Amino acid sequence: MIMKQNQEYSLFLLGLLESSAEQKSLDWLKQKVSKIKDASSPTGFFLAFSQASRFFSKDPLKLSDAEKNKAEQLVEGFDPSHWNSLQTARTYLLFHLNLEKEDWLKAVNQLFETGDLYEQAALYAALPLLPFQNELLPRAIDGCRTNMTLVFDAIALNNPFPRKSFPELNWNQMVLKAIFMQRPLYQIQGLEERRNAALAEIASDFAHERWAAGRNVMPELWRLVVPFTNERYLADLERTLNSDDQLEQIAGALALTESNSEESRTLLQAYPVLMEKVASGKYDWEAIGKEFQEKSA
Amino acid sequence: MYIDPHIHLVSRTTDDYEAMQKAGIVATIEPAFWLGQPRTEVGSFKDYFSTLVGWERFRASQFGIVHYCTMGLNSKEANNIPLAEQVMELLPLYVGKEGVVAIGEIGYDDQTEAEDRFYREQLELAKEVDLPVLIHTPHRDKKKGTYRSMDVAEEHGMDPGWIIVDHNNEETVKEVLDRGYWAGFTIYPHTKMGSERMVEIVKQYGPERIIVNSAADWGISDPLAVPKTADLMRKMGIPEEHVQMVTYRNALAAFSLSGQMHEDDWLKAPPIDQTKKMGGNSVLRGGQVPRVEGPSDRVEN
Repeated sequence: MIMKQNQEYSLFLLGLLESSAEQKSLDWLKQKVSKIKDASSPTGFFLAFSQASRFFSKDPLKLSDAEKNKAEQLVEGFDPSHWNSLQTARTYLLFHLNLEKEDWLKAVNQLFETGDLYEQAALYAALPLLPFQNELLPRAIDGCRTNMTLVFDAIALNNPFPRKSFPELNWNQMVLKAIFMQRPLYQIQGLEERRNAALAEIASDFAHERWAAGRNVMPELWRLVVPFTNERYLADLERTLNSDDQLEQIAGALALTESNSEESRTLLQAYPVLMEKVASGKYDWEAIGKEFQEKSA
Repeated sequence: MYIDPHIHLVSRTTDDYEAMQKAGIVATIEPAFWLGQPRTEVGSFKDYFSTLVGWERFRASQFGIVHYCTMGLNSKEANNIPLAEQVMELLPLYVGKEGVVAIGEIGYDDQTEAEDRFYREQLELAKEVDLPVLIHTPHRDKKKGTYRSMDVAEEHGMDPGWIIVDHNNEETVKEVLDRGYWAGFTIYPHTKMGSERMVEIVKQYGPERIIVNSAADWGISDPLAVPKTADLMRKMGIPEEHVQMVTYRNALAAFSLSGQMHEDDWLKAPPIDQTKKMGGNSVLRGGQVPRVEGPSDRVEN
């Protein structure tokens, strides 16, 4: 089963590379794969995995609609339009590491532990395609402790793995860290469906810390409290409606609109301009997130 | 613009990074070395090597400095044979990584049999992966150790044009240059080579294949040794072109043989932007204002 799946993924990745990479790079890749797949030791694989950077660029892949659909069909949420050629080649190599489970995990863990910035990012982004996902879960959770933005983003953003596999505690830690690092929350897959009461509380606490330090609060944060609006969160949201930052005001109004309770409606009525802005449909969470990222870039 | 082609940045502070950037250092090479005391576990080597290609490179980038490194088992720790053997198994994982510009620093310390064995094994590794070699020459019995390093390299069929022999002095420089090697000079405040002696050497031998570095580490050393020596050279009447060769161009020419170092890496680098990289333990602490510079703020030195 795993072999068959590997083959399907690897064929798809090769197709993506064929339309983006040079022939000499593809030749190198095929030559390496033919050596790796029959080798009993992973040494050749390790070398090829790092040296792929000499043959493949970090330019983003350009996908056709058909390719995007195919990716989604292979693994729900898999979106290689966020990938580059180099990581695609590295993931392709991974599918030819032909070892028994125990040795495979040993080799891949070694790769995680010794990877440079871009290698680590490639590995974490490949998680949803890799076999033995239960065994790799601790790796992904540990990876979220990184300080290197590129590596954190590879796990947290545009990646279906955390949504599917992270226990609530780790999910919440990841989302909080994304807020702390001011990463675009709308790029976290499953952010809305995996909202929970504990995370709403953590988010509100975080906002209060920022306020206490006289700093602004990332507007996307308020998306997390929507299903749980109680008195405490209503007070928080009222505060954002009076923020000196327009985007924060809009985020507060959007959260209140979506929470759709009697109290929220009453509160919002005192802010007709904001109500109108939200009703215009121009602002969803993605638009707010994008504007915030542009503003703070 | 300067390159410091030998500096152990894991031991340096953020003040150093700021001062280096301000003084015009655009790129640095951090050779894998020992840590002042011998390591006892192979895992310590693994984490150290990972730091060189991971966190330290990231840290340098936050100060607008491009960080490269060399990978190798240093001669001192080659003497712990069981550990050295494990490190040799580890090296293939690292030598092919981006920004690894040489195998080094390797060579002799006490010139023991074990040092000789692992030096030779690493010369073979360099050939296998097409990387230049950075040779550390010993502090004691230097002349003999330096000559021996070159003899052995030639025995292994190495091209002298792919080897940087480091820590030279007045006694070793002639032979190293005559035999076609790059000659590295480490400027140390108290020992090895002072800036004044360096000026004399460039006057006597010219700028060809001579490379100045700081080798700044956890000991008394100066991360600004390269720009300071360049200034002294100018003051002492060495032509600007020669100054640039020994503090920038030669290092670039030698280490770019690896295919892992390009002038574009810093000439076309993204502007310093610490806001994008603010992590849990990032180099910015709470309350500090990130220094964000656009490309227009870049000044050519």
